[in-house]
Amino acid sequence: MLEATTVVTPARFEQGLSYADFLAQAKVNRDKFEKFYNDPALTDDDIAFFKKVAVLPGGPAKILALAEDWCGDVYRELPTVVRIAEATGAELRVFRRDENPDIMDEYLSNNGKSRAIPVFVFYTKDHRYITHFLERSAGAHKELAAAIAEISAKLGLPPGTTYATVPDASRPTFVQELIAKITPRFAAWRKEAIREMRTLHSTALHSPNHA
Amino acid sequence: MHQNPAKAVPIVYTIRGCDACMKLLRKWDAEGVPYDERRVELSQDVLDEARKYGSLVPIVVWPDGTVQQGFGDSLGCFI
Repeated sequence: MLEATTVVTPARFEQGLSYADFLAQAKVNRDKFEKFYNDPALTDDDIAFFKKVAVLPGGPAKILALAEDWCGDVYRELPTVVRIAEATGAELRVFRRDENPDIMDEYLSNNGKSRAIPVFVFYTKDHRYITHFLERSAGAHKELAAAIAEISAKLGLPPGTTYATVPDASRPTFVQELIAKITPRFAAWRKEAIREMRTLHSTALHSPNHA
Repeated sequence: MHQNPAKAVPIVYTIRGCDACMKLLRKWDAEGVPYDERRVELSQDVLDEARKYGSLVPIVVWPDGTVQQGFGDSLGCFI
Protein backbone atom coordinates (compact mmCIF):
# COMPACT_ATOMS: atom_id res chain seq x y z
CA MET A 1 0.00 0.00 0.00
CA LEU A 2 1.53 3.29 -1.05
CA GLU A 3 1.62 5.68 1.88
CA ALA A 4 1.10 8.64 -0.40
CA THR A 5 -2.30 7.37 -1.48
CA THR A 6 -3.66 5.68 1.62
CA VAL A 7 -6.62 7.16 3.45
CA VAL A 8 -5.14 5.93 6.72
CA THR A 9 -3.27 9.00 7.85
CA PRO A 10 -1.85 9.10 11.38
CA ALA A 11 -4.85 11.18 12.43
CA ARG A 12 -7.29 8.69 10.90
CA PHE A 13 -5.50 5.82 12.59
CA GLU A 14 -6.04 7.46 15.96
CA GLN A 15 -9.78 7.51 15.30
CA GLY A 16 -9.94 3.71 15.36
CA LEU A 17 -11.43 1.88 18.30
CA SER A 18 -9.43 0.31 21.06
CA TYR A 19 -10.08 -3.41 21.29
CA ALA A 20 -11.95 -2.82 24.55
CA ASP A 21 -14.23 -0.31 22.85
CA PHE A 22 -14.74 -2.62 19.87
CA LEU A 23 -15.80 -5.40 22.23
CA ALA A 24 -18.00 -3.06 24.24
CA GLN A 25 -19.84 -2.11 21.05
CA ALA A 26 -20.11 -5.69 19.78
CA LYS A 27 -23.67 -6.92 19.41
CA VAL A 28 -22.68 -10.56 18.95
CA ASN A 29 -19.93 -13.06 19.64
CA ARG A 30 -18.38 -11.48 22.73
CA ASP A 31 -18.09 -15.00 24.10
CA LYS A 32 -16.17 -16.10 21.00
CA PHE A 33 -13.72 -13.20 21.21
CA GLU A 34 -13.15 -14.01 24.87
CA LYS A 35 -12.71 -17.71 24.15
CA PHE A 36 -10.06 -17.15 21.49
CA TYR A 37 -8.33 -14.46 23.54
CA ASN A 38 -8.04 -16.94 26.37
CA ASP A 39 -6.88 -19.69 24.02
CA PRO A 40 -4.21 -17.94 21.97
CA ALA A 41 -2.66 -19.98 19.20
CA LEU A 42 0.62 -18.12 19.74
CA THR A 43 3.58 -20.08 21.06
CA ASP A 44 6.28 -18.59 23.28
CA ASP A 45 8.51 -18.59 20.20
CA ASP A 46 5.92 -16.60 18.26
CA ILE A 47 5.73 -14.01 21.03
CA ALA A 48 9.52 -13.81 21.19
CA PHE A 49 9.66 -13.31 17.41
CA PHE A 50 7.17 -10.46 17.43
CA LYS A 51 8.95 -8.86 20.40
CA LYS A 52 12.21 -9.11 18.45
CA VAL A 53 10.90 -7.45 15.30
CA ALA A 54 9.05 -4.79 17.30
CA VAL A 55 12.34 -3.34 18.53
CA LEU A 56 14.01 -3.35 15.14
CA PRO A 57 14.45 0.03 13.43
CA GLY A 58 11.30 0.27 11.33
CA GLY A 59 9.64 -2.53 13.30
CA PRO A 60 5.88 -2.70 13.90
CA ALA A 61 4.53 -0.29 16.50
CA LYS A 62 0.99 0.28 15.22
CA ILE A 63 -1.57 -2.25 13.98
CA LEU A 64 -4.78 -1.46 12.15
CA ALA A 65 -7.50 -4.12 12.17
CA LEU A 66 -10.50 -4.09 9.85
CA ALA A 67 -13.15 -6.17 11.53
CA GLU A 68 -16.81 -6.90 12.22
CA ASP A 69 -18.02 -8.75 15.28
CA TRP A 70 -20.29 -11.07 13.28
CA CYS A 71 -17.46 -12.56 11.23
CA GLY A 72 -16.09 -15.97 12.17
CA ASP A 73 -12.68 -15.29 10.69
CA VAL A 74 -12.50 -12.10 12.76
CA TYR A 75 -13.37 -13.61 16.13
CA ARG A 76 -10.86 -16.38 15.50
CA GLU A 77 -7.98 -14.13 14.36
CA LEU A 78 -8.37 -10.71 15.97
CA PRO A 79 -7.68 -11.97 19.52
CA THR A 80 -4.34 -13.33 18.27
CA VAL A 81 -3.35 -9.88 17.05
CA VAL A 82 -4.56 -8.36 20.31
CA ARG A 83 -2.17 -10.70 22.09
CA ILE A 84 0.67 -9.67 19.75
CA ALA A 85 -0.07 -6.00 20.41
CA GLU A 86 -0.15 -6.55 24.15
CA ALA A 87 3.12 -8.48 24.10
CA THR A 88 4.96 -5.97 21.94
CA GLY A 89 3.41 -2.73 23.13
CA ALA A 90 2.06 -1.98 19.65
CA GLU A 91 -0.92 0.35 19.42
CA LEU A 92 -3.92 -1.53 18.03
CA ARG A 93 -6.82 0.31 16.43
CA VAL A 94 -9.91 -1.49 15.22
CA PHE A 95 -12.03 -0.13 12.36
CA ARG A 96 -15.43 -1.56 11.58
CA ARG A 97 -15.36 -2.60 7.96
CA ASP A 98 -18.83 -1.44 7.04
CA GLU A 99 -18.30 2.00 8.58
CA ASN A 100 -14.94 2.44 6.82
CA PRO A 101 -15.42 1.41 3.19
CA ASP A 102 -12.60 3.68 2.03
CA ILE A 103 -10.09 1.78 4.14
CA MET A 104 -11.55 -1.55 3.03
CA ASP A 105 -11.21 -0.49 -0.60
CA GLU A 106 -7.43 -0.45 -0.14
CA TYR A 107 -7.39 -4.12 0.81
CA LEU A 108 -9.87 -5.83 -1.50
CA SER A 109 -9.21 -9.46 -2.38
CA ASN A 110 -10.36 -11.84 -5.11
CA ASN A 111 -9.39 -9.44 -7.89
CA GLY A 112 -11.07 -6.52 -6.21
CA LYS A 113 -14.40 -8.32 -5.77
CA SER A 114 -14.26 -9.33 -2.09
CA ARG A 115 -14.22 -7.28 1.09
CA ALA A 116 -12.75 -10.13 3.11
CA ILE A 117 -11.90 -9.59 6.77
CA PRO A 118 -10.01 -9.56 9.01
CA VAL A 119 -7.34 -7.28 7.59
CA PHE A 120 -4.35 -6.48 9.77
CA VAL A 121 -2.03 -3.68 8.66
CA PHE A 122 1.28 -3.17 10.42
CA TYR A 123 2.97 0.24 10.59
CA THR A 124 6.11 1.66 12.07
CA LYS A 125 5.96 4.11 14.95
CA ASP A 126 6.09 6.99 12.45
CA HIS A 127 3.25 5.41 10.47
CA ARG A 128 5.13 3.89 7.58
CA TYR A 129 3.45 0.82 6.11
CA ILE A 130 5.30 -2.45 6.76
CA THR A 131 3.04 -5.28 5.68
CA HIS A 132 -0.49 -6.59 5.94
CA PHE A 133 -2.36 -9.85 6.46
CA LEU A 134 -5.62 -10.50 4.66
CA GLU A 135 -8.42 -12.79 5.87
CA ARG A 136 -6.73 -16.20 5.81
CA SER A 137 -3.27 -17.58 5.21
CA ALA A 138 -2.16 -18.78 1.81
CA GLY A 139 -2.05 -22.27 3.31
CA ALA A 140 -5.72 -22.02 4.31
CA HIS A 141 -6.67 -20.84 0.82
CA LYS A 142 -4.74 -23.76 -0.63
CA GLU A 143 -6.60 -26.21 1.62
CA LEU A 144 -9.89 -24.62 0.65
CA ALA A 145 -9.06 -25.05 -3.04
CA ALA A 146 -8.04 -28.67 -2.43
CA ALA A 147 -11.29 -29.34 -0.55
CA ILE A 148 -13.29 -27.86 -3.44
CA ALA A 149 -11.44 -30.06 -5.93
CA GLU A 150 -11.97 -33.17 -3.79
CA ILE A 151 -15.69 -32.53 -3.31
CA SER A 152 -16.12 -31.71 -7.01
CA ALA A 153 -14.60 -35.07 -7.91
CA LYS A 154 -16.79 -36.85 -5.36
CA LEU A 155 -19.93 -35.25 -6.82
CA GLY A 156 -18.84 -35.98 -10.37
CA LEU A 157 -18.37 -32.34 -11.31
CA PRO A 158 -15.88 -31.41 -14.04
CA PRO A 159 -12.22 -30.92 -13.07
CA GLY A 160 -11.47 -27.26 -12.54
CA THR A 161 -14.85 -26.58 -10.94
CA THR A 162 -14.61 -23.59 -8.63
CA TYR A 163 -17.01 -22.51 -5.94
CA ALA A 164 -18.41 -19.97 -8.39
CA THR A 165 -19.07 -22.56 -11.09
CA VAL A 166 -20.75 -25.30 -9.05
CA PRO A 167 -24.07 -26.07 -10.77
CA ASP A 168 -27.09 -24.87 -8.79
CA ALA A 169 -28.46 -28.42 -8.48
CA SER A 170 -25.27 -29.60 -6.77
CA ARG A 171 -24.69 -26.52 -4.66
CA PRO A 172 -26.55 -27.47 -1.43
CA THR A 173 -24.72 -30.80 -1.14
CA PHE A 174 -21.48 -29.17 -2.21
CA VAL A 175 -21.73 -26.49 0.47
CA GLN A 176 -22.59 -29.00 3.19
CA GLU A 177 -19.61 -31.16 2.27
CA LEU A 178 -17.33 -28.14 2.13
CA ILE A 179 -18.37 -26.89 5.55
CA ALA A 180 -17.89 -30.37 7.04
CA LYS A 181 -14.43 -30.58 5.52
CA ILE A 182 -13.02 -27.18 6.43
CA THR A 183 -14.59 -26.48 9.82
CA PRO A 184 -12.28 -28.94 11.62
CA ARG A 185 -9.33 -27.11 10.05
CA PHE A 186 -10.07 -23.74 11.66
CA ALA A 187 -7.77 -24.37 14.63
CA ALA A 188 -4.88 -25.24 12.31
CA TRP A 189 -5.65 -22.18 10.19
CA ARG A 190 -5.14 -19.95 13.23
CA LYS A 191 -1.61 -21.26 13.52
CA GLU A 192 -1.12 -20.89 9.76
CA ALA A 193 -2.15 -17.25 10.07
CA ILE A 194 0.51 -16.66 12.72
CA ARG A 195 3.10 -18.40 10.57
CA GLU A 196 2.17 -16.18 7.66
CA MET A 197 2.31 -13.01 9.75
CA ARG A 198 5.79 -14.04 10.89
CA THR A 199 6.88 -14.61 7.31
CA LEU A 200 5.44 -11.28 6.21
CA HIS A 201 7.38 -9.44 8.91
CA SER A 202 10.52 -11.44 8.31
CA THR A 203 10.43 -10.59 4.61
CA ALA A 204 9.47 -6.95 4.98
CA LEU A 205 12.03 -6.26 7.68
CA HIS A 206 14.78 -8.49 6.26
CA SER A 207 15.00 -10.24 9.59
CA PRO A 208 15.38 -14.01 10.03
CA ASN A 209 12.14 -15.81 10.87
CA HIS A 210 13.20 -16.93 14.32
CA ALA A 211 13.08 -15.42 17.77
CA MET B 1 -35.68 -31.65 10.28
CA HIS B 2 -37.12 -28.41 11.66
CA GLN B 3 -40.48 -27.45 10.28
CA ASN B 4 -41.53 -23.88 9.60
CA PRO B 5 -45.29 -24.29 9.42
CA ALA B 6 -46.23 -20.91 10.87
CA LYS B 7 -45.53 -19.09 7.63
CA ALA B 8 -45.37 -20.54 4.18
CA VAL B 9 -42.35 -18.38 3.41
CA PRO B 10 -38.68 -19.18 3.81
CA ILE B 11 -36.81 -17.88 6.81
CA VAL B 12 -33.48 -16.43 5.77
CA TYR B 13 -30.72 -15.68 8.25
CA THR B 14 -28.56 -12.87 6.91
CA ILE B 15 -25.81 -10.40 7.62
CA ARG B 16 -26.30 -7.14 5.78
CA GLY B 17 -22.52 -6.83 5.29
CA CYS B 18 -22.36 -10.25 3.62
CA ASP B 19 -22.23 -10.00 -0.17
CA ALA B 20 -23.78 -13.45 -0.71
CA CYS B 21 -26.68 -12.54 1.61
CA MET B 22 -27.35 -9.32 -0.24
CA LYS B 23 -27.22 -11.07 -3.62
CA LEU B 24 -29.85 -13.54 -2.45
CA LEU B 25 -32.14 -10.81 -1.09
CA ARG B 26 -31.79 -8.76 -4.28
CA LYS B 27 -32.68 -11.84 -6.35
CA TRP B 28 -35.71 -12.63 -4.24
CA ASP B 29 -36.82 -8.99 -4.24
CA ALA B 30 -36.55 -8.90 -8.04
CA GLU B 31 -38.54 -12.11 -8.33
CA GLY B 32 -41.11 -11.05 -5.74
CA VAL B 33 -40.29 -13.97 -3.45
CA PRO B 34 -41.63 -13.31 0.06
CA TYR B 35 -39.33 -14.15 2.94
CA ASP B 36 -38.84 -13.72 6.66
CA GLU B 37 -35.41 -12.13 7.10
CA ARG B 38 -33.63 -12.56 10.43
CA ARG B 39 -30.45 -10.51 10.78
CA VAL B 40 -27.89 -12.37 12.82
CA GLU B 41 -25.52 -9.43 13.20
CA LEU B 42 -28.03 -7.55 15.32
CA SER B 43 -28.76 -10.06 18.04
CA GLN B 44 -26.97 -12.88 19.81
CA ASP B 45 -30.28 -14.69 20.16
CA VAL B 46 -30.87 -14.62 16.41
CA LEU B 47 -27.28 -15.66 15.77
CA ASP B 48 -27.65 -18.59 18.15
CA GLU B 49 -30.90 -19.52 16.42
CA ALA B 50 -29.16 -19.45 13.03
CA ARG B 51 -26.35 -21.67 14.31
CA LYS B 52 -28.89 -24.43 14.95
CA TYR B 53 -29.26 -24.66 11.19
CA GLY B 54 -25.77 -24.04 9.92
CA SER B 55 -22.60 -22.00 9.98
CA LEU B 56 -22.56 -20.17 6.65
CA VAL B 57 -24.94 -17.31 5.92
CA PRO B 58 -27.19 -16.81 4.13
CA ILE B 59 -28.99 -19.74 5.73
CA VAL B 60 -32.40 -20.44 4.26
CA VAL B 61 -34.95 -22.56 6.11
CA TRP B 62 -37.70 -23.47 3.68
CA PRO B 63 -41.25 -24.11 4.90
CA ASP B 64 -40.75 -27.87 4.45
CA GLY B 65 -37.75 -27.75 6.76
CA THR B 66 -35.09 -27.98 4.07
CA VAL B 67 -32.01 -25.95 4.94
CA GLN B 68 -29.60 -24.32 2.47
CA GLN B 69 -26.43 -22.47 3.28
CA GLY B 70 -24.54 -19.93 1.19
CA PHE B 71 -25.65 -18.44 -2.08
CA GLY B 72 -24.28 -17.64 -5.48
CA ASP B 73 -20.71 -17.49 -6.58
CA SER B 74 -19.17 -16.30 -3.32
CA LEU B 75 -18.75 -18.49 -0.29
CA GLY B 76 -20.83 -16.44 2.13
CA CYS B 77 -19.82 -15.63 5.69
CA PHE B 78 -19.07 -18.06 8.49
CA ILE B 79 -20.87 -17.07 11.66
